[in-house]
Amino acid sequence: MKRITIDPITRLEGHGKIEIFLNDQGEVLNAYLQIPELRGFERFCEGRPVEELPRIVPRICGV
Amino acid sequence: MPDKLKLALYWAATCGGCEVAVLDTNEKILDLAAAADIFLWPVAMDFKYQDAEDWPDAFIDVCLFNGAIRNSEGEHMAHLLRRKSKVLVAFGSCASFGGIPGLANVANAAQVFDRAYQATPSTDNASQVRPQTSVQVPEGELTLPSFYDTVRTLDQVEDVDYFMPGCPPVPERIWEVVGAILGGQLPPKGATIGVTHTTVCEECSRRKEEKMVNGFVRPHLVEPDPERCLLEQGLVCLGPATRGGCGARCLKAWMPCRGCYGPTDRVTDQGAKMLCAIASILNAEDEASAKKSVGDIADPLGTFYRFTLPASLLQRAAIPHFQH
Amino acid sequence: MSGNGFEPKIVGFLCNWCSYQGADMAGTARMHYAPNVHIIRVNCSGRVDPSFILKAFREGADGVIVAGCHPGDCHYTSGNFKTMRRMPLLEHLLTDFGIEPGRFRLEWVSAAEGAKWAKLVNDVTETVRRLGPLNWKERVREPAHELVTQ
Repeated sequence: MKRITIDPITRLEGHGKIEIFLNDQGEVLNAYLQIPELRGFERFCEGRPVEELPRIVPRICGV
Repeated sequence: MPDKLKLALYWAATCGGCEVAVLDTNEKILDLAAAADIFLWPVAMDFKYQDAEDWPDAFIDVCLFNGAIRNSEGEHMAHLLRRKSKVLVAFGSCASFGGIPGLANVANAAQVFDRAYQATPSTDNASQVRPQTSVQVPEGELTLPSFYDTVRTLDQVEDVDYFMPGCPPVPERIWEVVGAILGGQLPPKGATIGVTHTTVCEECSRRKEEKMVNGFVRPHLVEPDPERCLLEQGLVCLGPATRGGCGARCLKAWMPCRGCYGPTDRVTDQGAKMLCAIASILNAEDEASAKKSVGDIADPLGTFYRFTLPASLLQRAAIPHFQH
Repeated sequence: MSGNGFEPKIVGFLCNWCSYQGADMAGTARMHYAPNVHIIRVNCSGRVDPSFILKAFREGADGVIVAGCHPGDCHYTSGNFKTMRRMPLLEHLLTDFGIEPGRFRLEWVSAAEGAKWAKLVNDVTETVRRLGPLNWKERVREPAHELVTQ
């Protein structure tokens, strides 16, 4: 079995990793996409005044 | 013909805004491409981590590293790029101070995971799955970086040559800094670049009268005078505690400053400095009115340390067992 | 949570003209009180930047006291008004950071109030003893880098 790792995926916003497993004939057995990032906006926006959210959440994605 | 400069741009816990700010130099990006070759830039080019691992040491002339250090992958890349680069720049507020992702230092890894992967209303995770650093699948092992309890700045994990704050750094300043790099005119190591040496107040063209307020208000409760200092009208603005360089552009858009350029040269803890500034302008003659006025400020930690919590003296909220 | 034999380490910022003299008076009058405060004399309580208090907690203090002249009696006229305006906001901030109320205390102590100083130190020492060590560096320490498992 052969394994191809694409790390990082590129030309988009965000972190990603792709693992592709091939059998001996070179056919794709399986492929996995992993997102090795998390910042936790869902958690740290709690407790912030509501009028501040439009200044915080655009930093989820600057693109 | 002199060798072209070798550049790398990398992002750790990031939003991509710093990359966009580089692109917002518009046609100047072509001047950059003429003078430099870029060897790593995940948002725009296909180089992989393995390519970076394969470079000789000190291969890269300047690495612009944005994003906070949130997990072991970010830390690994910080160490790798330090080794492979002659000059390492903490680019943007996240790398310099922790930035918005630094607000996660109000919680720990377990709490962030519980919210993101379990408790959000749109999530259905009956089997309570959480990301693991290592998982066996039929074909082999899959790995993920380990997620730290505490967000760190770049210089808390690695030796940094220059800091360029901003969320994002404004394109005009980016271009000045690129010019300095191309012209070999960088200041001594450790300097903060692309900034002024005073505060946002100096760049703000709003009219300043007497700085004395009876209390603070949330913005929906007041219709501010468009030409007067917002702080003087009772709206919390971090201008007095924030380094200049941005041109006070939030103020021009009627938004009070939230401190993304971080503290000035002479201050370690931006939040404490802002607390002092607020107290200085409060017209309270006794303890009762002082206590009442500060009750107006809804979220001191999240407001005064909006961009700089990991860089602050306390760095983070205590990891609970203590809940309040 | 207080361990056996825990002796709170308390840092006290005392203004030169009132509070430090008051503490001195407690000493010359041979008042007995808890020995847990490490005193830092400042020329005015208004000199105490909030970052000093944050740094004290970070560097191992279990409690911090700031003591100044009564409002209206400041040797520099209005220095303690600044203190008075800063500290309520700092108390709120400390709670947000997870530093329990009771670890930080602001009091006005005049040069004649040796007994008040002694009682203040005893009160804060007992409150902090009940709360236990703050041990800030432990509270923010990263455990071994593992993802949280189910």
